[in-house]
Amino acid sequence: MSSRSLNKKFDKILAREEAGELSSNSGSRALKKLLNNRLALVGLILFSIIIFTAVFAPLFTSADPMKINLRNLSQPPSADHWFGTDKTGRDVFARVLYGGRVSILVGLGSGIIAAIIGVLVGAYTGYKGGWLDVIALRVSELFMSFPQIILVLLLVSIIGQSLINLMIIFVLTGWGGMYRMARARMLSLREEEYVQALQSFGLSTATICYKHILPNALGPIMVNITLSTAAFILAEAGLSFLGLGVPASIPTWGNILNVAQEIRVLQNFWWMWLPVGATISLFVLSVNFIGDGLRDATDPSQQG
Amino acid sequence: MLNQISGIALAAGLFMSSAGLVSAQAINDEPLSDPRVRQAIAYAIDMDTIVDTLLEGKAIAADSMLPNGPHKPAGLNAYAYDPDKARELLAAANWDSDRELDMVYYYGDQLTADLMAAVQAYLSDVGVKMTYRKLEGDVGAQLTTRPTNPVDGISNIDWDLGYGAAAATALQEYYNPYKTGGTSHTPGNAELDGLIDAINATADPDAQRPAYFAIQEYWNTNLDALPLYYQQLFIYESNKLNRNGHGYGNEQYNYDFGIVDWTMEPDANGKQIMYTNTAPPQFFELPWANLGIWITSKIVFDKLLSADGSLAVNGSQLAESYSVGADGMSVSFTLKDGLTWHDGSALTVADVEWSVKTALRVPNIHAVVANTFTSIDGGQAYRDGTSDEIAGIATDGNTITFTMSKLDPNMLLTFTQFPPLPMELLKGTDPIELQQAAYWQNPIGSGPFRIEEVQMNDFVRYVPFENYHGGVAKIDEIVAFPSLDGDGNLLKNAGAGKMDYGFTKNVADVAALEAMDHMRVIPADIPYTRMIWFNKFARK
Amino acid sequence: MLTYVIRRILILIPMLLTISFLVYTALELTPGDAVSALINPEVASRLSDAQFAELREAYGLNKPFIVRYGIWLSNVMQGNFGHSLAGGVPISTIFLDRLPATLELSLVALLFSTVLGCILGTYSALKRGSITDSSLTVVGMIGVSIPEFFFGLVALLIFALNLGWLPVGGRLLPGYETIWDRVPHIIMPAMVLSLMMTAGVMRYARSSMLDALTREFITTARSKGLPEWRINLLHGFRVALTPVIVLIGFRLPLLIGGSVIIEQVFQWPGIGNEFIGAVRGSDYPLVMMIALFSVFAVLMASLIIDVLTALIDPRVRLS
Repeated sequence: MSSRSLNKKFDKILAREEAGELSSNSGSRALKKLLNNRLALVGLILFSIIIFTAVFAPLFTSADPMKINLRNLSQPPSADHWFGTDKTGRDVFARVLYGGRVSILVGLGSGIIAAIIGVLVGAYTGYKGGWLDVIALRVSELFMSFPQIILVLLLVSIIGQSLINLMIIFVLTGWGGMYRMARARMLSLREEEYVQALQSFGLSTATICYKHILPNALGPIMVNITLSTAAFILAEAGLSFLGLGVPASIPTWGNILNVAQEIRVLQNFWWMWLPVGATISLFVLSVNFIGDGLRDATDPSQQG
Repeated sequence: MLNQISGIALAAGLFMSSAGLVSAQAINDEPLSDPRVRQAIAYAIDMDTIVDTLLEGKAIAADSMLPNGPHKPAGLNAYAYDPDKARELLAAANWDSDRELDMVYYYGDQLTADLMAAVQAYLSDVGVKMTYRKLEGDVGAQLTTRPTNPVDGISNIDWDLGYGAAAATALQEYYNPYKTGGTSHTPGNAELDGLIDAINATADPDAQRPAYFAIQEYWNTNLDALPLYYQQLFIYESNKLNRNGHGYGNEQYNYDFGIVDWTMEPDANGKQIMYTNTAPPQFFELPWANLGIWITSKIVFDKLLSADGSLAVNGSQLAESYSVGADGMSVSFTLKDGLTWHDGSALTVADVEWSVKTALRVPNIHAVVANTFTSIDGGQAYRDGTSDEIAGIATDGNTITFTMSKLDPNMLLTFTQFPPLPMELLKGTDPIELQQAAYWQNPIGSGPFRIEEVQMNDFVRYVPFENYHGGVAKIDEIVAFPSLDGDGNLLKNAGAGKMDYGFTKNVADVAALEAMDHMRVIPADIPYTRMIWFNKFARK
Repeated sequence: MLTYVIRRILILIPMLLTISFLVYTALELTPGDAVSALINPEVASRLSDAQFAELREAYGLNKPFIVRYGIWLSNVMQGNFGHSLAGGVPISTIFLDRLPATLELSLVALLFSTVLGCILGTYSALKRGSITDSSLTVVGMIGVSIPEFFFGLVALLIFALNLGWLPVGGRLLPGYETIWDRVPHIIMPAMVLSLMMTAGVMRYARSSMLDALTREFITTARSKGLPEWRINLLHGFRVALTPVIVLIGFRLPLLIGGSVIIEQVFQWPGIGNEFIGAVRGSDYPLVMMIALFSVFAVLMASLIIDVLTALIDPRVRLS
């Protein structure tokens, strides 16, 4: 009886607190700082442009990225084909746009999923403690003991190549860092008085974790997502180079850039690799700028 | 019971060939077993355009498994590009437009991926969906696991179409795998078996010709595999290399290319160093499977006989002389006097005998070689392990004689390609694990060059063998890098002037090599057909 | 201190065992077996099932799982790492042969990038907010935003093919005589690798330096009127050095994993090149041993870091 009314009272207080503290104060302050950071702003603009053109690719090109035209091979850029055509006569511009969809899906998608899994597991087991925590910690140590590329290649050799498999692999290799961060935060927050108070009011562990503790860690989470997105996009390109990435029939930035392996293409057909190479680098760069800005904006100890 | 079944199959076969239309239907639930579907796919792909564009004119569109030549009949249907005809045939065969065909391939180069994209586009144009993927890992098993029942069994492979090739030392090789139980994708068929037996029945080319005509005409309608194009082979040389009059030939195999007489423009130190590729990444390969692909197989190991560029016997290497029995059922070789291995030990008929016997028990040796050796009297039993003796091998001093129990039209060809190995260094090794012997880290051979230094996966240096029976080679040193045709390293090395000789089948390499002023490229017509396999077995 | 080291090592052992078991299990689950991966498909298409079975038996692929794992593990304990499936080459031989190449390349790259990164990072921190500082930051970020194989290929195109200054690949000069003959081969792969690695060090060194510069004793030193360069050099750098040691420790795994792609671009006959080949060919024993070895390297590196940190900061030992 009494605990229920206490709960109600407390929830009200808490709701007010949350609304006040999170959305109006620290959130907008961080956003303002982010927007004041010129590099981050450049990054944000680049990032938005690339995402927008990829997602709304049909608005920007009427060409079909898969449509070959054997009578129009390896043509330099023209009004019809802004980035020229590749060795099977496909429109490179369209391929870069549509390829972006897949690459961004792989990079950003895996980054977000890895972060979600890492945070959920880290926050929960960190809060709960006990054998669950020990197991999760050991498992994450297992994954993190491998050099990244060795683990990725090992997993490729085990589960084989496909778009989904690649995402699974990236998530498997990427969740550990996020998990550790979330867990460390949870361990320190667990000892905080207000959390202990919540606990004594009988709030469920899950509620405490996700409602009261997580929002405080949003900044570092975002930074982590940007970093892993950048890493995954580059890893996708690297795996394509090794012939162990997304199957060649699917256009991805990595698969498109892969033609640069042929010295003849590298020497004579710059339009087949330069635009896509630049796009990959700009996208990764923009993500890095954003991540950097976020770090500065949310972590006061790293100002400079 | 068994007789009865084959009797029915035979009757069906005869019936089908007498009335062509009756054969034009699926033989099981799998639509690909319907010849009309296969013909439609043939019509849908514009091979002439692909040859002109993607393949840069460096291939020939194929109308048969066999290359152009005297063994090809006139009037074969070339399946010239005709999408309307393709749609018509598909409609007649009730093609299900929701079916998505799964195409596999195993070449890692960009050109293959581009070709797959082109085929995908052509098929989609006539309403056939297709996706393609490169096989990884256990490629052999994924390609070749056969169904338990070779005639109307359930497929044991998970692909619909396969892009592959057949390279043949002997023309029969194009068809021999298709005998009942031989492939993972083509159901056994008595009519085809009969046609295959006919091309193997004689070693006389004139007598073979009608049999070849018959099997090609059958194939032209049935398209058990769809021949796409004839691959040319391209030999490239730098302008520092001089072959001194020796000709070119089928570089994938061993032929008399006269490397002993080759010379190189000396480098700054006055040394003649020739750079090439195909050095091993981890170990030297047993030269009994890929007979002449690696430079080591060509120059480190001598064979009993030598062949000309089109692989016809033209003389001898280790043999001083050879003679074939009147009926072609035996052959004897007398070795040259004083032959030695690179380590100085004597090379004798005992080495030859041991090598042939060992090869019979090594699982993955070349099909032509295997066929010759199992044709030796007692060879099959020795291979099966039911006997430890081979009655058909006899030695006498410097002479070794092989007596066959069945005619092998390619008997002499085998001895131009099969190098004996040194018995003393390998004799304790189980034939199954022959490739695992430490010997393959730095093999001792009998050829004009011996291995001087091995930096595995970096380079191998070869120097002339001082006691070579054919005279000491003029080039001071050959350096081989571990690149292969189709990988980017060939062009990098060539661009940097570190590639003086080699061969490739990759037309992208060829165009790039031709663009280099210091390189020349010599095309060679070889029997090598690229094709699409159809998995015609019923699915699970 | 000794007990701390022993405790750390005791934690390592079950970790290594678990990983060895997992790696082994996972690879066992891969589709098919390695036999036909060893054979040219054009040849394999002619093998009979009986011949396949023969090969499988020969490679010991027919025994029960736990037995296979047990055999393998006891062999590893005795220093017998097994044989590569493809050519039966002892894996220890492959390690001895390829590891020096990888270590040579990675060490040069690691040293160069650490030195360069520390110098640039420190400079950046001292000139904090200047144009140099922000340009360095941006250049560093561009550096880590280019796919490394692409960077390598472009370098190769320019310096080896167009200018002809450096060899296109390989590690040794065939027929080399002096150690100097080898130098041109390592320049390009090592430089490409270091430049890709520098940005991370630079960022780390910069923030460590910034951190150090705001410490109290620096402020004290400054208030005592010591010249600025002495403060920066002696005090600032010394404080920043500890994190740099930690950083080097963290980067030790790069010795094995860092050069995989660059080795491929420059035909460098190292362990990474071998690993790619093994993954492509489903050469399980080799894949397993290289993966295990790299884990071993990482764990040893983390052990060393922990011990070093414990030496510096005694509180760690007690926790």
